[in-house]
Amino acid sequence: MKIEGTYTFKAPQQKVWETFNSVEHLQEALPGCEELIETEPGKFDVFLKIGISAVKGKYKGKFEIADPNPPNSYKLIGQGKGLPGYVKGEAVISMSQEGEDTILSYDGDVQVGGLLAGIGQRMIGGISKMMIGQFFKSMDKVL
Amino acid sequence: MKPTAFEYFTPSTVQEALQLLESQGDEAKIIAGGQSLVAMMNFRAARPEALIDINNIKDLDYIREEEDELVIGALTRERTLEVSPLVKEKCPILAKAITHIGHLPIRFRGTIGGTLVHADPTAEIPITSVALDAKMKIAGPSGERVLNAGEFFLTYLTSAIEENELLVEVRIPTLPPKTTAWSYVDISRRFGDFAIVAVASVLSLDNDGVCKEARIAMGGVAPTPVRAKEAEALLAGQKITDSIIEEAAIKAAESDDVDPDSDYHATAEYRKAMTKVLTQRGLKEAWTNFEGSK
Amino acid sequence: MSGEKKKWVGSSYKRKEDMRLLTGRGTFMDDILLPNMKHAAILRSPYAHAKILDVDISEALKAPGVIGVVTGEDVKKASKPYPCGVTIPTKYYTCAVDKVRFVGEPVAVVVADNRYLAEDALDLIEVDYDPLEAVVDIEKAIEPDAPVLHENIGSNIYNHRFFKYGTDWDTLCQEADEVVKWKFNFPKYAGSPIETYGVIASYSSFENSYVVYNNYQGPFVNHALTAMALGIPENKMRWIIPTDIGGGFGTKTGIYPYCALMSIVAKKTGVTVKWIEDRREHLLASATCTDRVTYIEAAVRKDGKILGLKDKAMDTTGGYIRPPEPGCAYRSTGNHTGAYDIRNLDREVYIVATNKGLTAPLRGYGCQELYFSTERITDMAAAKLGIDPAEIRFKNFVQPEQMPYTTATGGYYDVGNYPAAFQKCLDIVEYDKMREYQKKARAEGRLVGIGLASVVDPSVTNIAYVAIGKTIEERKNERDKSGSGEAAIVKVDPLGGITVICSTNPQGQGHETVISQIIADEFGVHPDEVVVDSVLDSSDRLYSITTGSFSSRFASSGTTAIVRASRQCIEKAKKIAAHLMKIKVEDVVMEEGKFFAKDKPEKAIKLRHIAGAAHWNQYDLPEGIDAGLFGTSLWTMPTSRPPDGKDRVNSSNTYGFVAEAIVVEVDQETGEITFLKWASVHDAGTILNPQIVRGQVLGSIVQAIGGSMYEEQAYDEHGQCLTASFADYLCPTAMEMPKVDVDHFESPSVLTALGSKGAGEGSSMSVPPAIGNAIADALAPLGVVVDELPLSPSKIWHMIDEAKAKTN
Repeated sequence: MKIEGTYTFKAPQQKVWETFNSVEHLQEALPGCEELIETEPGKFDVFLKIGISAVKGKYKGKFEIADPNPPNSYKLIGQGKGLPGYVKGEAVISMSQEGEDTILSYDGDVQVGGLLAGIGQRMIGGISKMMIGQFFKSMDKVL
Repeated sequence: MKPTAFEYFTPSTVQEALQLLESQGDEAKIIAGGQSLVAMMNFRAARPEALIDINNIKDLDYIREEEDELVIGALTRERTLEVSPLVKEKCPILAKAITHIGHLPIRFRGTIGGTLVHADPTAEIPITSVALDAKMKIAGPSGERVLNAGEFFLTYLTSAIEENELLVEVRIPTLPPKTTAWSYVDISRRFGDFAIVAVASVLSLDNDGVCKEARIAMGGVAPTPVRAKEAEALLAGQKITDSIIEEAAIKAAESDDVDPDSDYHATAEYRKAMTKVLTQRGLKEAWTNFEGSK
Repeated sequence: MSGEKKKWVGSSYKRKEDMRLLTGRGTFMDDILLPNMKHAAILRSPYAHAKILDVDISEALKAPGVIGVVTGEDVKKASKPYPCGVTIPTKYYTCAVDKVRFVGEPVAVVVADNRYLAEDALDLIEVDYDPLEAVVDIEKAIEPDAPVLHENIGSNIYNHRFFKYGTDWDTLCQEADEVVKWKFNFPKYAGSPIETYGVIASYSSFENSYVVYNNYQGPFVNHALTAMALGIPENKMRWIIPTDIGGGFGTKTGIYPYCALMSIVAKKTGVTVKWIEDRREHLLASATCTDRVTYIEAAVRKDGKILGLKDKAMDTTGGYIRPPEPGCAYRSTGNHTGAYDIRNLDREVYIVATNKGLTAPLRGYGCQELYFSTERITDMAAAKLGIDPAEIRFKNFVQPEQMPYTTATGGYYDVGNYPAAFQKCLDIVEYDKMREYQKKARAEGRLVGIGLASVVDPSVTNIAYVAIGKTIEERKNERDKSGSGEAAIVKVDPLGGITVICSTNPQGQGHETVISQIIADEFGVHPDEVVVDSVLDSSDRLYSITTGSFSSRFASSGTTAIVRASRQCIEKAKKIAAHLMKIKVEDVVMEEGKFFAKDKPEKAIKLRHIAGAAHWNQYDLPEGIDAGLFGTSLWTMPTSRPPDGKDRVNSSNTYGFVAEAIVVEVDQETGEITFLKWASVHDAGTILNPQIVRGQVLGSIVQAIGGSMYEEQAYDEHGQCLTASFADYLCPTAMEMPKVDVDHFESPSVLTALGSKGAGEGSSMSVPPAIGNAIADALAPLGVVVDELPLSPSKIWHMIDEAKAKTN
């Protein structure tokens, strides 16, 4: 499914770029993130426990910050697997300065598979959007 | 499709239930009617380590009238509310909305508390409670607190209830019959299915048929039920006509809060279009029924 | 034979099965409890297409209550792939071996003390997948850059054939006044029986033999193929099917791979294993009809005569192809031109691989896909020529005087009066009045439409159709395949009681009831006295490759076998009676269960005494007569020939006719459909039990409404199934069922003992095109063309919205 959107941060672009590349901050902001380990520069192992209401699950995954073009854009490639299913996605994250704010926009594709895709298709789109929103809100707090 | 193993508790008071929530931690789930939870457990989508079955807490099952409110215990079954003469007389939109919930066997088990905490944005009782500004009383380790419907629903399937709290009561304003026009309409794939879009409308009118206040709640268009504020503002102080109904319906669909998703059953464009159609049809039905009852 | 007035056949004798079924006392797969039985759960692939790098079962083996675990490696060692009726060598094992090719494909099996513990152990199996790109679109699957599912065949084409009958297409187009063409999409949907699959398998190492309980419908070619897959002689596998099956609708036909899989599991773990499929597994990985893309052209004369059809039909059987596919494309060969006298046909058939669930002969098997395109193009031709859609059908019907009629593709229609049956349907729906109503409604801006369909309903499949998957060259060196046999045993016990066993094991259709009615008429007894044993046991029942309860064959083929077995038994009884009464056999009369000399009716002997003589006093039997009293028959229809050298085949044996006339209204604002009026007329030959046939007709109607408007096994572009629960796979409920006026037009078959033809599938083939035509007619003033199903309100709304945008 296609995902795209924007978020406005009240901070200069360089600061936003650094925050979005920092392991500490990412770990704090990623919903349900229990552990985030940089295995190689730009490559991470991640352990998440996320869900909605009673539908929670543990996910083990990897993601990569690829094609970095500081401080303007990079490509985020990730995948995670858990008992409720798997998630795979890539998105291009771009930033631009507008006055004192930074506009971050993302454009990509997310695949959800397994149990949740088969029984939860009614809400997957909305819930994904919401979790992405949560992540940005948390990053905003960090900033 | 067999659930994972769980511990099972049957408290008989709210205090016991709260103690269990505290001691069992965040892997425990309250079960009342089980109409949403049990299916999730059988799919192994939900894997609670403990179930706290509150069906024995008999003093959470009541309906009474207090001044201008109906006071309803969280464990009251949907079917009880559906057929209650008190509800039909004092808050008929609630009884009507409940007839849209699934099928009869589901309503015999489902509870008002359960469906509110489950917080499905297309669910009938959440939508109606947002239209009526209902109040939710929540019991926790440090006492009770009250939230109104606007604060209670946070996002998809998420209410403001904390892991160690229990919803115990709902207060819903009664509707003066001679001056209230109301309706609950929805559109779904089959009879009894989850609504694609649903609209609850309540119009308070004066003796000249002018709308003093409009309350319109829409479900299926956002992560929670939402009020059509611009449409409500448009109707306030107006005489009800077909053309003002249509204007209000268009405003409702154009509201910023209306941001539906596409899924296999219906596209976002369709849902947006149905928001206008149902708001229009719902307001028309409310007005026609009101005029007819005079 | 078929013209006689019967006492019991033709009456709505109350179903015998119902008391036990409605009080929960049926015997279904899950009711069978064997000693020391353990339970299996299947780990299924979450990916549509992936390499399996590793399957780590070490933690699962340690889990509480676990007896053993079986993986694809074990299955590869213990079995051979299933052979299939196409020449390409894909390998279909009952468990994924190196790759998974659809979401839900089995990857491992755990056996434990109970299903809960088995599922707990599934969670502990670690599978390392290397996900690959998936393809779900039929046309994309044959593009050069599509991901290939079966590397050893190098493409996604399972089968590709051409057929030409009559005048060639280009010449025909020159004769025609118009050539109407369009592309149609038919969806993938399922049968959703209340009871899912179930298997109990056990293995005996002393005899190297298996006992497999299952709820399979037939044909029993599966028994032979399963034995071949396991590398054992067929008589070393005993199949037992219990008395009751909770519906099949085709999902329990074809290859039922779990029989083989659980046999392998039973052998490896050394225990008796029970596996009951859950609903999610069923919706993901049991079987559906094929979805189909059809490019179709009709060459027509301006008076409405259809000179010929050209079509390219592209099916997909999913991640694998398994028997009886490629039947999806070929089962309908004989009736391809349906009820119309069309002698010229140009066909191209593709069957392709996609990363979707597998197929089976779902109710209708290929005919709903076929008739959706042929009936829609017929209506489009009518519209182009300015002719009423009823009129174009009358113009093209095969006429009653042309019967028996051999179609251009080799189908043999023995009887039928299509114009009269169709007219009956139009009369019931009050067609002319409805057209007037439509005019008025249109003037008010309402979208009212009338949809017609008139189709030939083939039943009693001739297995020769499978051979059409191969070219004439390719099948030259193989044994011919043909036949449609069904078997019956009718026994009279020493005390005169009649017991019947028939190879058409039922899934709730009421066979016990109808069989009792037939025996009652043949023997002159009361149907209450007749006992029918519906259990199928391969050791002691008669069966064959073609037998079973599928393609609506019980009513015609099954009943004929029963009548023949009965008459064989009665012939013997007459000989014994003649001997006892010391008269000539020709002078023996049988009436109401009594035997007497034709001039001495008062001196009658009861059947009971004849049975007594045959069993109790075996010495005093006439010359050449063995002891006992029974009759057997394994009867194949004489019209079940192999295909000829011109790819013509009589793919079925009895051909009925169904006409639908549906009046709908579309809500312009919401896209919702309301059914205003509906007439459905069926020619199923002699009606054996009107109540039962009515149930069949209404059932096929509601399932077809499902496929046309609600149901779909839907996938996203990555091959994830979106409809794996009943929250999203929408079966119509009683509330969605409109009122339908059902009626019959009986033209008895000359090929079957009682004149009956198949009644089970009928409307499943005619309703999707009729609904398509109705909605198309309703939306015609807006310039909308209907060319796909299912039609949800959201889809219809978008079609209306786009059409309005175009005109603005």
